[in-house]
Amino acid sequence: MLNYIWLFLIVIALVVGVGKDITDEVRNTYRNDTPLEVIFISSQLPSGTATRCEGQIYLTAKQYNDFYAISSQLEEVKQPAVLSLNQNKTGSFIFACTEVTPTLWKDMAQSASGKDKLTGKVERIEFSDDHGWAKATIILEPIRYVKLKAITQAAIDFANVAVEIAFGLIGVMALWLGLIKVAEEAGLVKILTKLLAPMTKRLFPDIPSDHPAIGAVIMNTAANMLGLSNAATPMGLKAMEELNKLNPKIGTATNAMITFLAINTGGIILIPATAMAVRAAVGSTNIGIIIGTSIFAAGCATITGIVASKILQRLPRYKRELTVDTKKPEEMNHG
Amino acid sequence: MADLFRTVINFISILAIPVMIALFLGWGFFKKVRVYEVFVEGAKDGFHTAIRIIPYLVAMLFAIGIFRASGAMDVLISLITPLTNLIGMPPDTLPMALMRPLSGSGSLGIMTELMKVHGPDSFIGVLASTLYGSSETTFYILAVYFGSVNIKNTRHAVPVGLLADFAGILAAVFICRILFGK
Repeated sequence: MLNYIWLFLIVIALVVGVGKDITDEVRNTYRNDTPLEVIFISSQLPSGTATRCEGQIYLTAKQYNDFYAISSQLEEVKQPAVLSLNQNKTGSFIFACTEVTPTLWKDMAQSASGKDKLTGKVERIEFSDDHGWAKATIILEPIRYVKLKAITQAAIDFANVAVEIAFGLIGVMALWLGLIKVAEEAGLVKILTKLLAPMTKRLFPDIPSDHPAIGAVIMNTAANMLGLSNAATPMGLKAMEELNKLNPKIGTATNAMITFLAINTGGIILIPATAMAVRAAVGSTNIGIIIGTSIFAAGCATITGIVASKILQRLPRYKRELTVDTKKPEEMNHG
Repeated sequence: MADLFRTVINFISILAIPVMIALFLGWGFFKKVRVYEVFVEGAKDGFHTAIRIIPYLVAMLFAIGIFRASGAMDVLISLITPLTNLIGMPPDTLPMALMRPLSGSGSLGIMTELMKVHGPDSFIGVLASTLYGSSETTFYILAVYFGSVNIKNTRHAVPVGLLADFAGILAAVFICRILFGK
């Protein structure tokens, strides 16, 4: 199933990306090579030999919306930009995106030649008599294949993010695995598993109730409920490792593992700390209002997950996948 | 009542790790475990476990990453939006519900945006933060947990995770409508 979902994500991404780029090209969404009449406002327009001047590209919201055939721009456009002109009053311009930049230009800048910067040609410029402003005709650099460029960038970025996440785990993993090992040797984990045996026996009938896996499952769930994600992940991975020791078919998920993941992804929690922090940051008058609703929703999700895992594991197709294939036992052991 | 609960849980969360360190090591010392050596022995596995998940995490995050970058999410949302009325869910919160199992940072951004636009204490704001607070990034957990033990055949783990997420969405909409219904 993960095979199909994974492939679905990738295929859909590529199809939609190509589709959007073709649509953009056909509709000329970014008005490539189309001249745009703007007012250039500057206190230091070039007089004589000066060739470089800073100022603002000015457009009313209506002009901007009409040009791109959109309706999203509500305020007049005042984009700071730098012009470089030559003698015959043509030249080029460049601007970096700031918070005043219209959304469409920001999107265009994402896949422009310079990151977050848009450039273009100045076709014609006519200065006013008092040199405070100029009428200019500009053409922005052509923007093409926005989505395909974004997909390429995302593929590389996220591959790096994955490695960063894994590297970030090394320290806390080592810390918690060390502490858990001490707790195991001291017999603390056994006490914990005995205490909760009546419940864990039902959830994980395949696992002996005093097995170290059960201890790690309990500690992981407790850490998740308290919102201690730094401690929860190492304990969860420890639990997976212990569960895997009882796995008859290495490389295939066991029933116990899936039940454990159902508890984990259900998101059972007592304090939704991150959501509450964001609520406080955006000015909520009652940040704790979501504690009850979150506990209820997460509880429903977790119970559904456990029940679903218990029902689905009885289906013949999932049962079959766990039966050990005696013909070629070596093949699966390589991982 | 909710405030008291919050204070107590917060207090436990802050105390939990120092108490665990003290308890584990103290108990170990009391039981004559050679704590330093055993700690190091256990910690050794940390590196390998973390490194083992890299290929799984790369596969998962890159697929989700290009899915988000391509704008495919918008297409999916426009396809599903007509169905939100059936469960009484505001269409604005649909991106939140769909993004939550895929990406933690993506859904965090959507939740923040929704609360800024609609107000954190509006129905949409409360529902968005409940959806975020009550769920985990299912696909991330699948990749990391199964990756750490080299599980490639996940059997029914994905349907189970998605069913749980769907139930969580229904439950969040249900409880928020009852308590803060518009």
